Amino acid sequence: MIKVEDLSKTFGKTEVLSDISTQVNSGEVVSIVGPSGSGKSTFLRCLNLLETPSNGSVWIQDYEITNPKTNILKAREHIGMVFQHFHLFPHLTVIDNITYAPKQVKGETADQAETKAKSLLEKVGLTDKANAYPNNLSGGQKQRVAIARALAMEPEIMLFDEPTSALDPEMVNEVLDVMKDLAKSGMTMAVVTHEMGFAKEVADRVFFLDHGKLVEDSPPSTFFSKPETQRAQDFLEKIL
Amino acid sequence: MNLDFTQIVPYIPFMLEGIWVTLGFVSVSIIFGFILGTLIALIKISRIKFMVGLADAYTSVFRGTPLILQLMIIYFAIPQLTGYNIPPFFAAVLAFGLNSSAYISEIIRAGIQAVEKGQTEAAQALGVPYRPMMKDLILPQALKNILPALMNEFITLTKESAIVSTISYLDLMRRAQVVGSDIYRNFEPLLFVGLIYYLLVMGLTMLGKLLERRLRVSD
Ligand SMILES: Nc1ncnc2c1ncn2[C@@H]1O[C@H](COP(=O)(O)OP(=O)(O)OP(=O)(O)O)[C@@H](O)[C@H]1O
Ligand SMILES: [Mg+2]
Repeated sequence: MIKVEDLSKTFGKTEVLSDISTQVNSGEVVSIVGPSGSGKSTFLRCLNLLETPSNGSVWIQDYEITNPKTNILKAREHIGMVFQHFHLFPHLTVIDNITYAPKQVKGETADQAETKAKSLLEKVGLTDKANAYPNNLSGGQKQRVAIARALAMEPEIMLFDEPTSALDPEMVNEVLDVMKDLAKSGMTMAVVTHEMGFAKEVADRVFFLDHGKLVEDSPPSTFFSKPETQRAQDFLEKIL
Repeated sequence: MNLDFTQIVPYIPFMLEGIWVTLGFVSVSIIFGFILGTLIALIKISRIKFMVGLADAYTSVFRGTPLILQLMIIYFAIPQLTGYNIPPFFAAVLAFGLNSSAYISEIIRAGIQAVEKGQTEAAQALGVPYRPMMKDLILPQALKNILPALMNEFITLTKESAIVSTISYLDLMRRAQVVGSDIYRNFEPLLFVGLIYYLLVMGLTMLGKLLERRLRVSD
Protein backbone atom coordinates (compact mmCIF):
# COMPACT_ATOMS: atom_id res chain seq x y z
CA MET A 1 0.00 0.00 0.00
CA ILE A 2 1.14 3.52 -0.81
CA LYS A 3 -0.38 6.53 0.87
CA VAL A 4 0.49 10.09 -0.06
CA GLU A 5 -0.72 13.15 1.82
CA ASP A 6 -0.26 16.78 0.74
CA LEU A 7 2.96 15.93 -1.06
CA SER A 8 4.88 18.90 -2.44
CA LYS A 9 8.33 19.18 -3.89
CA THR A 10 10.24 22.29 -4.83
CA PHE A 11 13.61 22.54 -6.52
CA GLY A 12 14.99 25.92 -5.53
CA LYS A 13 12.04 28.18 -6.20
CA THR A 14 10.18 26.06 -8.73
CA GLU A 15 7.38 23.95 -7.39
CA VAL A 16 7.52 20.64 -9.22
CA LEU A 17 4.83 18.82 -7.25
CA SER A 18 2.05 20.54 -5.43
CA ASP A 19 -0.26 19.12 -2.84
CA ILE A 20 -0.71 15.60 -4.08
CA SER A 21 -2.84 13.28 -1.97
CA THR A 22 -3.77 9.78 -3.01
CA GLN A 23 -3.66 6.16 -2.05
CA VAL A 24 -2.73 3.02 -3.96
CA ASN A 25 -4.06 -0.16 -2.43
CA SER A 26 -2.42 -3.54 -2.33
CA GLY A 27 -2.55 -5.26 -5.70
CA GLU A 28 -3.53 -2.14 -7.61
CA VAL A 29 -1.73 -1.10 -10.77
CA VAL A 30 -1.53 2.62 -11.42
CA SER A 31 -0.29 4.22 -14.62
CA ILE A 32 1.08 7.70 -14.29
CA VAL A 33 0.85 9.80 -17.43
CA GLY A 34 1.32 13.43 -18.29
CA PRO A 35 3.32 15.85 -20.41
CA SER A 36 7.09 16.03 -20.19
CA GLY A 37 8.20 17.97 -17.15
CA SER A 38 4.89 17.54 -15.36
CA GLY A 39 6.60 15.87 -12.40
CA LYS A 40 5.97 12.16 -13.05
CA SER A 41 9.52 11.04 -12.28
CA THR A 42 9.78 13.33 -9.28
CA PHE A 43 6.53 11.95 -7.91
CA LEU A 44 7.75 8.37 -8.30
CA ARG A 45 11.12 9.19 -6.75
CA CYS A 46 9.42 10.74 -3.74
CA LEU A 47 7.81 7.36 -3.09
CA ASN A 48 11.14 5.74 -2.21
CA LEU A 49 12.84 8.91 -1.06
CA LEU A 50 15.30 9.19 -3.93
CA GLU A 51 13.91 12.72 -3.76
CA THR A 52 13.08 14.18 -0.38
CA PRO A 53 9.63 15.75 -0.40
CA SER A 54 9.53 19.38 0.67
CA ASN A 55 6.21 18.87 2.35
CA GLY A 56 3.65 16.24 3.17
CA SER A 57 3.93 12.58 4.06
CA VAL A 58 4.36 9.28 2.28
CA TRP A 59 3.58 5.85 3.71
CA ILE A 60 4.95 2.66 2.18
CA GLN A 61 3.28 -0.34 3.78
CA ASP A 62 3.66 0.43 7.49
CA TYR A 63 6.56 2.84 7.08
CA GLU A 64 6.05 6.56 7.16
CA ILE A 65 9.12 7.19 5.04
CA THR A 66 8.88 10.96 5.29
CA ASN A 67 9.39 10.71 9.03
CA PRO A 68 13.12 11.22 9.65
CA LYS A 69 13.01 8.57 12.36
CA THR A 70 12.00 5.86 9.89
CA ASN A 71 14.73 3.48 8.82
CA ILE A 72 14.59 4.25 5.12
CA LEU A 73 16.84 1.33 4.14
CA LYS A 74 14.41 -1.07 5.81
CA ALA A 75 11.46 0.59 4.08
CA ARG A 76 13.15 0.37 0.69
CA GLU A 77 13.26 -3.41 0.98
CA HIS A 78 9.52 -3.27 0.43
CA ILE A 79 9.56 -1.09 -2.66
CA GLY A 80 11.48 -1.97 -5.80
CA MET A 81 12.32 0.44 -8.58
CA VAL A 82 13.01 0.04 -12.28
CA PHE A 83 14.64 2.90 -14.17
CA GLN A 84 14.43 4.07 -17.75
CA HIS A 85 18.15 3.48 -18.22
CA PHE A 86 18.32 0.19 -16.28
CA HIS A 87 21.29 1.14 -14.08
CA LEU A 88 22.56 -2.41 -13.85
CA PHE A 89 25.94 -2.74 -12.15
CA PRO A 90 28.23 -3.09 -15.17
CA HIS A 91 31.10 -4.80 -13.34
CA LEU A 92 28.89 -7.62 -12.05
CA THR A 93 27.46 -10.53 -14.00
CA VAL A 94 23.70 -10.82 -14.42
CA ILE A 95 23.41 -13.32 -11.58
CA ASP A 96 25.60 -11.18 -9.28
CA ASN A 97 23.50 -8.13 -10.11
CA ILE A 98 20.46 -10.04 -8.88
CA THR A 99 21.97 -11.72 -5.82
CA TYR A 100 23.97 -8.76 -4.50
CA ALA A 101 21.27 -6.94 -2.55
CA PRO A 102 19.53 -10.04 -1.13
CA LYS A 103 22.89 -11.22 0.23
CA GLN A 104 24.07 -7.82 1.40
CA VAL A 105 20.82 -6.36 2.68
CA LYS A 106 18.68 -9.33 3.68
CA GLY A 107 21.53 -11.58 4.74
CA GLU A 108 20.55 -14.43 2.44
CA THR A 109 23.14 -17.13 1.88
CA ALA A 110 24.77 -17.40 -1.54
CA ASP A 111 22.79 -20.59 -2.18
CA GLN A 112 19.43 -19.09 -1.27
CA ALA A 113 20.07 -15.98 -3.31
CA GLU A 114 21.24 -17.91 -6.34
CA THR A 115 18.34 -20.33 -6.34
CA LYS A 116 15.95 -17.42 -6.21
CA ALA A 117 17.86 -15.49 -8.88
CA LYS A 118 17.70 -18.46 -11.22
CA SER A 119 13.98 -18.83 -10.85
CA LEU A 120 13.58 -15.09 -11.45
CA LEU A 121 15.73 -15.33 -14.57
CA GLU A 122 13.48 -18.11 -15.76
CA LYS A 123 10.47 -15.91 -15.12
CA VAL A 124 11.89 -13.12 -17.29
CA GLY A 125 13.16 -15.58 -19.89
CA LEU A 126 16.89 -15.09 -19.46
CA THR A 127 18.14 -18.33 -17.95
CA ASP A 128 20.97 -18.52 -20.46
CA LYS A 129 22.30 -15.06 -19.58
CA ALA A 130 23.12 -15.71 -15.91
CA ASN A 131 26.86 -15.34 -16.40
CA ALA A 132 26.81 -12.59 -19.01
CA TYR A 133 27.84 -9.02 -18.22
CA PRO A 134 25.22 -6.28 -18.71
CA ASN A 135 27.18 -4.67 -21.53
CA ASN A 136 26.67 -7.78 -23.63
CA LEU A 137 22.87 -7.66 -23.37
CA SER A 138 20.30 -5.90 -25.52
CA GLY A 139 18.22 -3.11 -23.98
CA GLY A 140 15.21 -5.34 -23.54
CA GLN A 141 17.32 -7.98 -21.84
CA LYS A 142 18.91 -5.41 -19.56
CA GLN A 143 15.53 -4.13 -18.46
CA ARG A 144 14.30 -7.65 -17.74
CA VAL A 145 17.39 -8.25 -15.60
CA ALA A 146 16.72 -4.95 -13.82
CA ILE A 147 13.19 -6.13 -13.05
CA ALA A 148 14.53 -9.46 -11.77
CA ARG A 149 17.07 -7.59 -9.63
CA ALA A 150 14.33 -5.53 -8.01
CA LEU A 151 12.09 -8.57 -7.52
CA ALA A 152 14.87 -10.47 -5.79
CA MET A 153 14.31 -8.26 -2.75
CA GLU A 154 10.74 -9.59 -2.67
CA PRO A 155 9.11 -6.16 -2.52
CA GLU A 156 5.36 -5.70 -2.16
CA ILE A 157 5.44 -2.62 -4.37
CA MET A 158 7.23 -1.91 -7.64
CA LEU A 159 7.88 1.50 -9.19
CA PHE A 160 8.62 1.81 -12.90
CA ASP A 161 9.88 5.04 -14.47
CA GLU A 162 9.39 4.80 -18.23
CA PRO A 163 10.78 1.26 -18.34
CA THR A 164 10.42 0.97 -22.11
CA SER A 165 11.31 4.48 -23.27
CA ALA A 166 14.98 3.73 -23.88
CA LEU A 167 14.27 0.55 -25.83
CA ASP A 168 14.19 -0.15 -29.53
CA PRO A 169 10.55 -0.63 -30.57
CA GLU A 170 10.94 -4.36 -31.19
CA MET A 171 12.01 -4.88 -27.58
CA VAL A 172 9.21 -3.01 -25.89
CA ASN A 173 6.85 -5.96 -25.77
CA GLU A 174 9.21 -8.40 -24.11
CA VAL A 175 9.47 -5.99 -21.18
CA LEU A 176 5.76 -5.13 -21.13
CA ASP A 177 4.93 -8.85 -21.07
CA VAL A 178 7.02 -9.34 -17.95
CA MET A 179 5.26 -6.37 -16.35
CA LYS A 180 1.85 -7.72 -17.30
CA ASP A 181 2.67 -11.04 -15.66
CA LEU A 182 3.77 -9.17 -12.59
CA ALA A 183 0.53 -7.22 -12.48
CA LYS A 184 -1.46 -10.45 -12.79
CA SER A 185 0.48 -11.95 -9.89
CA GLY A 186 -0.97 -9.24 -7.65
CA MET A 187 2.01 -6.90 -7.38
CA THR A 188 1.22 -3.32 -6.39
CA MET A 189 2.64 -1.20 -9.20
CA ALA A 190 3.11 2.46 -10.07
CA VAL A 191 4.18 2.83 -13.67
CA VAL A 192 5.18 6.03 -15.40
CA THR A 193 4.72 5.27 -19.06
CA HIS A 194 4.01 6.57 -22.52
CA GLU A 195 2.64 3.15 -23.48
CA MET A 196 -1.05 3.97 -23.47
CA GLY A 197 -1.81 0.41 -24.55
CA PHE A 198 -0.31 -0.87 -21.33
CA ALA A 199 -2.24 1.68 -19.30
CA LYS A 200 -5.52 0.72 -20.99
CA GLU A 201 -4.99 -3.00 -20.70
CA VAL A 202 -3.31 -3.46 -17.33
CA ALA A 203 -3.87 -0.44 -15.11
CA ASP A 204 -6.65 -0.24 -12.58
CA ARG A 205 -6.28 3.53 -12.39
CA VAL A 206 -4.64 6.24 -14.44
CA PHE A 207 -3.06 9.29 -12.76
CA PHE A 208 -2.78 12.30 -15.00
CA LEU A 209 -0.18 14.80 -13.81
CA ASP A 210 0.08 18.30 -15.18
CA HIS A 211 2.30 21.07 -13.83
CA GLY A 212 2.92 19.08 -10.68
CA LYS A 213 -0.74 18.55 -9.87
CA LEU A 214 -2.61 15.28 -9.81
CA VAL A 215 -5.31 16.47 -12.18
CA GLU A 216 -7.14 13.21 -12.83
CA ASP A 217 -7.37 9.88 -11.11
CA SER A 218 -9.76 7.57 -12.88
CA PRO A 219 -10.09 4.07 -14.34
CA PRO A 220 -8.54 3.76 -17.81
CA SER A 221 -11.92 3.23 -19.44
CA THR A 222 -13.04 6.64 -18.19
CA PHE A 223 -9.73 8.40 -18.68
CA PHE A 224 -9.25 7.40 -22.29
CA SER A 225 -12.85 7.79 -23.45
CA LYS A 226 -14.05 10.85 -21.56
CA PRO A 227 -11.35 12.63 -19.58
CA GLU A 228 -12.75 15.19 -17.17
CA THR A 229 -10.39 18.07 -17.80
CA GLN A 230 -9.51 20.04 -20.88
CA ARG A 231 -5.82 19.53 -20.15
CA ALA A 232 -6.16 15.76 -20.20
CA GLN A 233 -8.13 15.98 -23.45
CA ASP A 234 -5.38 18.08 -25.03
CA PHE A 235 -2.76 15.64 -23.79
CA LEU A 236 -4.58 12.62 -25.17
CA GLU A 237 -5.18 14.31 -28.49
CA LYS A 238 -1.48 14.94 -28.85
CA ILE A 239 -0.33 11.41 -28.12
CA LEU A 240 -3.04 9.24 -29.61
CA MET B 1 85.54 9.99 -24.68
CA ASN B 2 86.62 8.54 -21.45
CA LEU B 3 84.26 5.74 -20.48
CA ASP B 4 85.23 2.62 -18.61
CA PHE B 5 82.44 0.37 -17.47
CA THR B 6 84.78 -2.33 -16.16
CA GLN B 7 85.37 -0.26 -13.04
CA ILE B 8 81.76 -0.47 -11.89
CA VAL B 9 81.59 -4.25 -12.29
CA PRO B 10 82.55 -5.01 -8.67
CA TYR B 11 79.87 -2.57 -7.53
CA ILE B 12 77.06 -4.06 -9.60
CA PRO B 13 75.64 -6.29 -6.82
CA PHE B 14 75.72 -3.30 -4.48
CA MET B 15 73.80 -1.19 -6.93
CA LEU B 16 71.34 -3.94 -7.84
CA GLU B 17 70.46 -4.29 -4.18
CA GLY B 18 69.17 -0.72 -4.45
CA ILE B 19 66.33 -2.00 -6.63
CA TRP B 20 64.81 -3.73 -3.61
CA VAL B 21 65.41 -0.78 -1.37
CA THR B 22 63.71 1.57 -3.84
CA LEU B 23 60.88 -0.83 -4.68
CA GLY B 24 60.45 -1.58 -0.98
CA PHE B 25 59.78 1.90 0.28
CA VAL B 26 57.97 2.94 -2.89
CA SER B 27 55.47 0.06 -2.57
CA VAL B 28 54.87 0.75 1.10
CA SER B 29 54.39 4.44 0.27
CA ILE B 30 52.00 3.59 -2.54
CA ILE B 31 49.85 1.36 -0.35
CA PHE B 32 49.86 3.95 2.43
CA GLY B 33 49.10 6.74 -0.05
CA PHE B 34 46.35 4.75 -1.71
CA ILE B 35 44.52 3.89 1.52
CA LEU B 36 44.85 7.42 2.88
CA GLY B 37 43.96 8.88 -0.52
CA THR B 38 40.78 6.78 -0.69
CA LEU B 39 39.72 7.93 2.77
CA ILE B 40 40.38 11.56 1.89
CA ALA B 41 38.43 11.14 -1.35
CA LEU B 42 35.46 9.76 0.60
CA ILE B 43 35.63 12.77 2.90
CA LYS B 44 35.71 15.09 -0.10
CA ILE B 45 32.48 13.68 -1.50
CA SER B 46 30.79 13.67 1.91
CA ARG B 47 28.61 16.55 3.02
CA ILE B 48 30.42 17.28 6.26
CA LYS B 49 31.56 20.79 5.39
CA PHE B 50 34.24 21.08 8.06
CA MET B 51 35.87 17.79 7.06
CA VAL B 52 35.67 18.66 3.37
CA GLY B 53 37.46 21.92 4.15
CA LEU B 54 40.21 20.07 6.01
CA ALA B 55 40.65 17.56 3.21
CA ASP B 56 40.85 20.32 0.62
CA ALA B 57 43.43 22.22 2.66
CA TYR B 58 45.49 19.06 3.09
CA THR B 59 45.50 18.41 -0.65
CA SER B 60 46.31 21.99 -1.43
CA VAL B 61 49.32 22.09 0.90
CA PHE B 62 50.83 18.80 -0.24
CA ARG B 63 50.36 19.65 -3.90
CA GLY B 64 51.46 23.22 -3.46
CA THR B 65 54.91 22.63 -1.96
CA PRO B 66 57.95 20.70 -3.24
CA LEU B 67 58.14 17.05 -2.32
CA ILE B 68 61.79 17.40 -1.37
CA LEU B 69 60.83 20.11 1.11
CA GLN B 70 58.22 17.84 2.67
CA LEU B 71 60.80 15.10 2.93
CA MET B 72 63.34 17.40 4.55
CA ILE B 73 60.81 18.72 7.04
CA ILE B 74 59.86 15.22 8.07
CA TYR B 75 63.43 13.98 8.30
CA PHE B 76 65.30 16.98 9.71
CA ALA B 77 62.69 19.23 11.32
CA ILE B 78 60.61 16.69 13.18
CA PRO B 79 63.58 15.40 15.21
CA GLN B 80 64.34 18.99 16.11
CA LEU B 81 60.83 19.42 17.47
CA THR B 82 60.24 16.07 19.09
CA GLY B 83 63.69 14.77 19.81
CA TYR B 84 62.73 11.57 18.01
CA ASN B 85 65.26 10.58 15.38
CA ILE B 86 63.08 9.25 12.62
CA PRO B 87 64.74 6.45 10.60
CA PRO B 88 65.18 7.32 6.90
CA PHE B 89 62.83 4.52 5.82
CA PHE B 90 59.94 5.90 7.86
CA ALA B 91 60.69 9.46 6.87
CA ALA B 92 60.63 8.41 3.21
CA VAL B 93 57.40 6.39 3.51
CA LEU B 94 55.73 9.20 5.43
CA ALA B 95 56.75 11.90 2.95
CA PHE B 96 55.94 9.91 -0.18
CA GLY B 97 52.80 8.37 1.27
CA LEU B 98 51.35 11.69 2.49
CA ASN B 99 52.31 13.44 -0.72
CA SER B 100 50.84 10.84 -3.04
CA SER B 101 47.70 10.52 -0.92
CA ALA B 102 46.97 14.14 -1.84
CA TYR B 103 47.24 13.41 -5.55
CA ILE B 104 45.49 10.04 -5.30
CA SER B 105 42.57 11.53 -3.36
CA GLU B 106 41.92 13.92 -6.23
CA ILE B 107 42.12 11.11 -8.78
CA ILE B 108 39.73 8.93 -6.80
CA ARG B 109 37.32 11.79 -6.08
CA ALA B 110 37.06 12.52 -9.79
CA GLY B 111 36.68 8.78 -10.47
CA ILE B 112 33.81 8.42 -8.01
CA GLN B 113 32.05 11.47 -9.38
CA ALA B 114 32.39 10.11 -12.91
CA VAL B 115 30.38 7.01 -11.96
CA GLU B 116 26.84 7.58 -13.19
CA LYS B 117 24.45 8.90 -10.56
CA GLY B 118 22.04 6.15 -11.54
CA GLN B 119 24.37 3.57 -10.01
CA THR B 120 24.02 5.13 -6.57
CA GLU B 121 20.27 5.46 -7.04
CA ALA B 122 19.91 1.83 -8.09
CA ALA B 123 21.84 0.76 -5.00
CA GLN B 124 19.77 3.03 -2.74
CA ALA B 125 16.53 1.80 -4.25
CA LEU B 126 17.60 -1.74 -3.33
CA GLY B 127 18.18 -0.64 0.26
CA VAL B 128 21.96 -1.11 0.12
CA PRO B 129 23.68 0.83 2.95
CA TYR B 130 26.36 3.43 2.15
CA ARG B 131 29.47 1.42 3.04
CA PRO B 132 28.83 -1.73 1.01
CA MET B 133 27.50 0.44 -1.80
CA MET B 134 30.79 2.33 -1.95
CA LYS B 135 32.98 -0.70 -1.45
CA ASP B 136 31.28 -3.18 -3.78
CA LEU B 137 29.45 -1.06 -6.34
CA ILE B 138 30.86 2.45 -6.74
CA LEU B 139 34.59 2.19 -5.95
CA PRO B 140 35.26 -0.80 -8.23
CA GLN B 141 33.76 1.13 -11.12
CA ALA B 142 35.64 4.28 -10.19
CA LEU B 143 38.94 2.40 -9.91
CA LYS B 144 38.52 0.87 -13.30
CA ASN B 145 38.09 4.30 -14.88
CA ILE B 146 41.03 5.85 -13.08
CA LEU B 147 43.49 2.99 -13.35
CA PRO B 148 45.61 4.76 -16.00
CA ALA B 149 45.79 7.91 -13.84
CA LEU B 150 46.70 5.86 -10.77
CA MET B 151 49.37 3.96 -12.64
CA ASN B 152 50.74 7.27 -13.79
CA GLU B 153 50.94 8.47 -10.19
CA PHE B 154 52.76 5.28 -9.17
CA ILE B 155 55.28 5.75 -11.97
CA THR B 156 55.87 9.37 -11.02
CA LEU B 157 56.42 8.25 -7.44
CA THR B 158 58.97 5.64 -8.50
CA LYS B 159 60.96 8.23 -10.41
CA GLU B 160 60.63 10.94 -7.77
CA SER B 161 61.73 8.43 -5.15
CA ALA B 162 65.32 9.23 -6.18
CA ILE B 163 65.18 12.33 -3.98
CA VAL B 164 65.46 10.19 -0.84
CA SER B 165 69.13 10.09 -1.69
CA THR B 166 69.21 13.54 -0.08
CA ILE B 167 68.49 12.04 3.35
CA SER B 168 71.25 9.46 2.85
CA TYR B 169 68.83 6.61 2.40
CA LEU B 170 70.66 3.94 0.40
CA ASP B 171 68.27 3.66 -2.51
CA LEU B 172 69.24 3.11 -6.14
CA MET B 173 70.15 6.74 -6.68
CA ARG B 174 72.21 7.08 -3.52
CA ARG B 175 74.13 3.94 -4.39
CA ALA B 176 75.12 5.38 -7.74
CA GLN B 177 76.48 8.43 -5.94
CA VAL B 178 78.37 6.29 -3.43
CA VAL B 179 79.95 4.25 -6.22
CA GLY B 180 80.72 7.45 -8.12
CA SER B 181 82.68 8.96 -5.28
CA ASP B 182 84.45 5.65 -4.65
CA ILE B 183 85.84 5.28 -8.16
CA TYR B 184 85.97 8.98 -9.05
CA ARG B 185 83.74 8.37 -12.04
CA ASN B 186 80.11 9.43 -12.08
CA PHE B 187 78.93 8.82 -15.59
CA GLU B 188 79.05 5.03 -15.54
CA PRO B 189 77.20 4.36 -12.27
CA LEU B 190 74.62 7.04 -13.05
CA LEU B 191 74.02 5.59 -16.48
CA PHE B 192 73.70 2.14 -14.94
CA VAL B 193 71.02 3.08 -12.40
CA GLY B 194 69.35 5.25 -15.03
CA LEU B 195 68.83 2.12 -17.07
CA ILE B 196 67.42 0.33 -14.04
CA TYR B 197 64.94 3.16 -13.33
CA TYR B 198 63.87 3.04 -16.95
CA LEU B 199 63.30 -0.72 -16.82
CA LEU B 200 61.34 -0.38 -13.57
CA VAL B 201 59.08 2.24 -15.12
CA MET B 202 58.57 0.13 -18.24
CA GLY B 203 57.71 -2.84 -16.00
CA LEU B 204 55.12 -0.78 -14.09
CA THR B 205 53.64 0.47 -17.35
CA MET B 206 53.22 -3.07 -18.60
CA LEU B 207 51.73 -4.17 -15.30
CA GLY B 208 49.19 -1.35 -15.63
CA LYS B 209 48.23 -2.41 -19.14
CA LEU B 210 47.78 -5.98 -17.94
CA LEU B 211 45.57 -4.91 -15.05
CA GLU B 212 43.48 -2.75 -17.35
CA ARG B 213 42.93 -5.65 -19.69
CA ARG B 214 41.87 -7.88 -16.81
CA LEU B 215 39.38 -5.31 -15.57
CA ARG B 216 37.93 -4.99 -19.03
CA VAL B 217 36.29 -8.43 -18.99
CA SER B 218 32.93 -6.84 -18.25
CA ASP B 219 32.92 -4.69 -21.42
N1 LIG C 1 17.18 17.66 -9.49
C1 LIG C 1 16.46 18.64 -10.06
N2 LIG C 1 16.79 19.93 -9.89
C2 LIG C 1 16.06 20.93 -10.44
N3 LIG C 1 14.95 20.73 -11.17
C3 LIG C 1 14.55 19.46 -11.39
C4 LIG C 1 15.27 18.35 -10.85
N4 LIG C 1 14.65 17.21 -11.22
C5 LIG C 1 13.59 17.59 -11.95
N5 LIG C 1 13.51 18.95 -12.05
C6 LIG C 1 12.48 19.72 -12.77
O1 LIG C 1 11.24 19.29 -12.27
C7 LIG C 1 10.28 19.23 -13.30
C8 LIG C 1 9.64 17.87 -13.32
O2 LIG C 1 10.61 16.93 -13.69
P1 LIG C 1 10.28 15.39 -13.84
O3 LIG C 1 11.52 14.73 -14.28
O4 LIG C 1 9.63 14.90 -12.62
O5 LIG C 1 9.23 15.39 -15.04
P2 LIG C 1 8.64 14.18 -15.86
O6 LIG C 1 7.18 14.33 -15.84
O7 LIG C 1 9.21 12.92 -15.36
O8 LIG C 1 9.16 14.50 -17.32
P3 LIG C 1 9.61 13.48 -18.48
O9 LIG C 1 8.36 12.96 -19.11
O10 LIG C 1 10.38 14.36 -19.42
O11 LIG C 1 10.45 12.42 -17.86
C9 LIG C 1 11.02 19.58 -14.57
O12 LIG C 1 10.73 20.93 -14.87
C10 LIG C 1 12.44 19.41 -14.24
O13 LIG C 1 13.24 20.29 -14.97
MG1 LIG D 1 10.55 11.45 -16.17
